[in-house]
Amino acid sequence: MIRFKNVTKRYPGMVRSAVDGLSLEVNQGETCVFVGPSGCGKTTTLKMVNRIFEPTSGEILVNGENILSQDQDTLRQGIGYVIQKTGLFPHYTVFENVATVPRLLGWDHQRINSRVHELLRLVGLDPDENAHKYPRELSGGQSQRVGVARALAADPPVMLMDEPFGAVDPITRTQLQNEFLTLQQKVRKTICFVTHDIDEAIKMGNRIAIMNNGRLVQYDTPEKLLLAPADDFVAEFIGSDRSLKVLSLLPVPKVLKRQFRVVKETAELETVRASFDATERNRLVIEDENSNVVGYVTRGDAGKASSARGWNRFIKPFPTTLPPEATLRDALAVMLQHDVGAIPVMEHTRKFLGMVYLDDIRSYVGEAYQESEPEPAGEGAPS
Amino acid sequence: MRSLRYFVNNTDRILGYAGEHAVLILMAVVMAVLVWVSVGILIRNNRRMARGVLGIASLIMSVPSVALYGILVTIPGLGLSRQSAVLALVLYAMLPIIRNVYVALNGVDAAIMENARGMGMSARRILFRVQLPLATPVILAGVRVSVVMMVGIATLAVFIGERNLGVLIQQGLVRTRSDMIIVGAVLVSAFAIGIDYLFSKLEHLLVSPGIRGEAA
Ligand SMILES: Nc1ncnc2c1ncn2[C@@H]1O[C@H](COP(=O)(O)OP(=O)(O)O)[C@@H](O)[C@H]1O
Ligand SMILES: [Mg+2]
Repeated sequence: MIRFKNVTKRYPGMVRSAVDGLSLEVNQGETCVFVGPSGCGKTTTLKMVNRIFEPTSGEILVNGENILSQDQDTLRQGIGYVIQKTGLFPHYTVFENVATVPRLLGWDHQRINSRVHELLRLVGLDPDENAHKYPRELSGGQSQRVGVARALAADPPVMLMDEPFGAVDPITRTQLQNEFLTLQQKVRKTICFVTHDIDEAIKMGNRIAIMNNGRLVQYDTPEKLLLAPADDFVAEFIGSDRSLKVLSLLPVPKVLKRQFRVVKETAELETVRASFDATERNRLVIEDENSNVVGYVTRGDAGKASSARGWNRFIKPFPTTLPPEATLRDALAVMLQHDVGAIPVMEHTRKFLGMVYLDDIRSYVGEAYQESEPEPAGEGAPS
Repeated sequence: MRSLRYFVNNTDRILGYAGEHAVLILMAVVMAVLVWVSVGILIRNNRRMARGVLGIASLIMSVPSVALYGILVTIPGLGLSRQSAVLALVLYAMLPIIRNVYVALNGVDAAIMENARGMGMSARRILFRVQLPLATPVILAGVRVSVVMMVGIATLAVFIGERNLGVLIQQGLVRTRSDMIIVGAVLVSAFAIGIDYLFSKLEHLLVSPGIRGEAA
């Protein structure tokens, strides 16, 4: 969708190239995050896509077409642009700001009106309350939302975002990031996103392009990047807590133990004993008539029970559970908090899916690192 | 008291002077705004040219007004005419208007300009929809300064044949009639105050509520 072919940019009078031989491809509907230390050429890269700057050499293709062969203004009208200082027009109302590109495209009044209202709702702003405000009446977070709405106005297939959430407080930033991820699920734009914050990159990107001194150092999925940094620079940039960060990318189903004996709470003691005989594990998961999890019974407790139905009183509820979309990081955090080594994962309907074990998390991450690192660096979990 | 009596006894004549004063300034303002705002727009992207034009404007500003009137009347085709008087006022307005237009157009926030470009607005559209609207308060301030200046300088145009409020001051000086001088001075000040009021109304009319009350 967006393709950089050996793109170099050298500003007049500069010895070093700001961007040096960059080649990469951003797939349709994906977010590519450019990340790296200040001055590494991220912004320059971005601004060459909408021709704020032109490459010194190399070419950039959008949708297979060289951007230099298109009319500059037409190209730009098809590319949403969001920057850190929102650059909202202070003399325009929120409505007029969002309507900027549709007006350039000559849409009729009715269409612009309904589109602006739709967009404001999409970014979480009540149109009736905000459409007639001026930018100076908005909070930082609201301004960014309007900036995003404005960039999306004419439904451009491509979006360029340069540290779009860099100027707001951390809480608002997290909120904007989450909202944007949800939004992107709906709109599926092809996005180039610039940040200097590796955590934001990991969170927002389908792929991450790490840059240093104008050069592309590594271009990979967040997971690959964390598990197999290309060199010391990348490893250092990601930070020593990369093994923790990778946990937040892995969903619990990756390590889920599913072969679990589940017994109905109405069962006879015989059934319970038989189930324990058939498994190595020391716990049974107990569910009610409607297949909702009610708790567990330990092997020892089952041994103490005597009457056919009396075992019921040994059922203990799980202190905590996880939804299937939780990450290993969530699982670990909950384990530490509740001081347990295993947590059941269940649907929101309380249907049992399996158990996550601390040991499984350790060995999964350990193996992942061993696979991606030629010589083990002593980080893998001992087994 | 004597001044008031003088005013009451000569109302018609004095109002005539005031009218002449207003007409002269109005002509000069309209011309000055048309010409100097255009020049300011033309030089906005050319720093070398801007420096040259603003240099000339400063030079003109530094010529004493009586001398400027004197120079203009020697130019064939102008002479002791209204054209000379108008031209002098227009020339004095050159610096405040061009300078403010130039500074304000170039002072638009870089992020705003970049976004305007990034969204695919043409240079012309950016000028008329973004830069000029955002520059309006500063441009108006420049025009206001030049008009207030004109009110005073116009009084000296009586030396080249204008019959405006300056007559009262000039005659008052020649005949040591303080009542005439006071009436002239008070009316000239009233003029300036009226113009200030007019401009605040104008600002309300021309400047978007989104940026009103921000610029000088
Ligand atoms: N307009 C410009 N003119 C000259 N040099 C520039 C310009 N913009 C950026 N640079 C230089 O190019 C390099 C890369 O800058 P930039 O792309 O802004 O980096 P980043 O966005 O990663 O911080 C830096 O050394 C910067 O000083
Ligand atoms: Mg940058």
